[in-house]
Amino acid sequence: MTNTSQPDAQHKAPSRLAQFWGSDIMWKFRHSPVAIVAFIFTALLVLSAVFAPLVAPHNPFDPASLNLLNGFTPPMEPNAFTGDAFLLGTDDQGRDVFSTILYGMRVSLFVGFAAVSLGLILGVSLGLVAGYFGGIVDAIIMRVADVQLTFPSILVAMLIFGIAKGVTPPEYRDEMAIWVLIIAIGLSDWVQFARVVRGATLVEVRKEYVQAARLIGRSSRSIIFGHILRNVLSPVLVIATISLALAIIAEATLSFLGVGAPPTQPSLGTLIRIGQQYLFSGEWWILLFPAATLLLLALSVNLLGDWLRDALNPKLK
Amino acid sequence: MKKFMLASVLALLASQGAHAETFKWAGTTDPQTMDPHAVNSAPVLGFLNNVYEGLMRRGRDMSIEPALAESWEALGTDGWRFHLREGVKFHDGSDFTADDVLFSYERATLPQSDVASWFATISDVKIVDDYTVDFLTTAPNPIFPDTIANFMILDRGWAEANGSTVPAKDAENFATRNTNGTGAFKVVERQPDLKTVLEPFDGWWEEATHNITRAEFTPIQNSATAVAALLSGEVDMINPVPTQDVARLSSNPDVKVAQGIEARVIMLGFGHEAEELKYGANAGDANPFRDARVRKAVNHGVNVDAIVQTIMRGAGEPVSQLVSSTMRGYSDAHAARYEYNPTLAKELLAEAGYPEGFSFGLKCPNNRYINDEAVCQATVGMLAQIGLDAQLEAMPVSNYWPELRADNYDMYMLGWAPGSFDAEHPIRFLVTTPNPEKKLGSWNFGGFSNERIDEILPLVQSEVDDTKRQALLDEAAKILQDEAGYVPLYVQALLWGTRENIDLVQRADNFFILRWVTVN
Repeated sequence: MTNTSQPDAQHKAPSRLAQFWGSDIMWKFRHSPVAIVAFIFTALLVLSAVFAPLVAPHNPFDPASLNLLNGFTPPMEPNAFTGDAFLLGTDDQGRDVFSTILYGMRVSLFVGFAAVSLGLILGVSLGLVAGYFGGIVDAIIMRVADVQLTFPSILVAMLIFGIAKGVTPPEYRDEMAIWVLIIAIGLSDWVQFARVVRGATLVEVRKEYVQAARLIGRSSRSIIFGHILRNVLSPVLVIATISLALAIIAEATLSFLGVGAPPTQPSLGTLIRIGQQYLFSGEWWILLFPAATLLLLALSVNLLGDWLRDALNPKLK
Repeated sequence: MKKFMLASVLALLASQGAHAETFKWAGTTDPQTMDPHAVNSAPVLGFLNNVYEGLMRRGRDMSIEPALAESWEALGTDGWRFHLREGVKFHDGSDFTADDVLFSYERATLPQSDVASWFATISDVKIVDDYTVDFLTTAPNPIFPDTIANFMILDRGWAEANGSTVPAKDAENFATRNTNGTGAFKVVERQPDLKTVLEPFDGWWEEATHNITRAEFTPIQNSATAVAALLSGEVDMINPVPTQDVARLSSNPDVKVAQGIEARVIMLGFGHEAEELKYGANAGDANPFRDARVRKAVNHGVNVDAIVQTIMRGAGEPVSQLVSSTMRGYSDAHAARYEYNPTLAKELLAEAGYPEGFSFGLKCPNNRYINDEAVCQATVGMLAQIGLDAQLEAMPVSNYWPELRADNYDMYMLGWAPGSFDAEHPIRFLVTTPNPEKKLGSWNFGGFSNERIDEILPLVQSEVDDTKRQALLDEAAKILQDEAGYVPLYVQALLWGTRENIDLVQRADNFFILRWVTVN
């Protein structure tokens, strides 16, 4: 086994796909049943969310297609008034639960990806800057990060959400809610990236190639983004994957608490919040299926991230 | 917020121990003020009925009985004379006299008051002596004593000393958080949206029949949380029981569900006066709701039976007027609703020039009426089927009323329970042309206006003959129905859940009266 996780593509020249398939990481992937199963589930969920309009039997956001009399239909049983049957039953408004889950997962995944991207861009940039320049810049950035780490990230997200809600006019709140959610989760998430990238940058900065680049007069920006960035990315990939699972859960938590995605654009968390009202009365399917989907999604992404961490960790070889 | 609230409730419950006579109850809505003249809504007046008192009050069966007035008599057709109870003390120990009645009348009829329309027919109030006071009317008003059971008396000295001589509707003053009534209970702690603690008033004029030593009210917005709190015994009573949990709670031996029909009619209102639509893709276009055909189309487009059957699970009755059939003056001749007929609704829209429909904003509360937000969501779906694209915005009542007062809606939801249990009441508040000077139409947010109804109202108020009075009310009901001024939906159910050791009285106006509670 070779001992590098960086692409060593230049010398051999089979097709890129074959190269990738034969790479170290793919070899590990093919030999990890957990990773394969997690990947399949993740891919399945993400694809069905992305193609929800094609997969879902109904569009739950088209109010004209709803029939209130279909409300509270149990899974796989015909409705008493209309005779319609639904795979996973319907909610209080007669919406097909299966369809709402697919559409809800879109919102959840979109918020998750966007929030992680925001946290990643912010955290990686700040981490690079802190690690490269050191001194007072480093001190300021990392102390801010330390302070933020002392608060639970969900509280930080709620704080940001609360402020944003206070300053946006009420008629735009529903439209803005998703973006505010992304910013709230993204901003509560950058510290992880910044810390890891700063640590890796500190190591890289002392290496010869950086010294050489400095000697030939390359600008700091070109050194940071042209040279160091590509050498600190692999841990970032790991954190990003695990953060995605956490961001999806954070979004669900916020939406469950009623400060996230509005009922007009329900995410999985919103669906769970709606469903738990019917837990006592026995309409279990309204809660159970979105909750199980959330669990499956977060678990798959998390396992994938865990596996990636182990696979990319040179110390575990 | 909700989380903190819950945490503090739990902490509170843990610290309280099991003192038998501490009674805890929970409701969806926190009374938004402790000022009985500032907001004319059931959560406020219902709660304050435990703290303040009026000249008369309603008994268990809603009948009028003496409270601060021991008796009253008509002064011919000029008005009413009230003989006040002697020896009544306010919570701070000061004496109750005719001057406090005059002061409360003056305060309640200020422009800042929300209850001024109770006194629309009153021309003057005169103190005869310390314990006699006259209310003089502009025209005969045979039902006046019936209409002021919620007119609560404040102490002049207390209000003046605390700068609260003017009610604060949307702002705050001392009386918003503090009370000084004559009622059976006094407020000892008030934390808005968190908890309100009451204790019995030792100096109350009547002998107490309850056995409560301390009562705590906590607003719990999440219905599942409220049910869990009741089942675990953390609270002794919840109002309302979520419609979906009635069956389960009824079969549980530890709790009881008291069911009834509330006097409250849930309806949808239109912006009648607005020139333009304010929300949705057609914002800025001419307001289609000024056309009665469009309003009729909406009436035909809402399937109330489906709402009652599915969302309310049968707990409610479709209604055709702004009062339920048990109210005095209900018009039997107009008991039929607009039938549910989406095809006809589309035809009416096409006739009015909207074959493709249009988009508009619908405002709803989400913590005021039973399943309010779910009903609005269902309405959005039904209106979509006749081509109307309703943009729903649901919000808590504390934001909701100011939004309605600021005319920020194209359509809105409203529930109305006539305080006087008479069909004249909604006409005065919701139907007659708004006129602040005459204190009329104060909850007619959309500004529905019809000349004949404006003529009918004073006639109804002064008509002594029941048959003639009913004929006038029938005429008003017909006009309102023909004009489709509102969309009356259904009469809301009363659903209270209590622990099995609690005895209480469920009054039809959904007022929860603490002095009738017994903890066994």
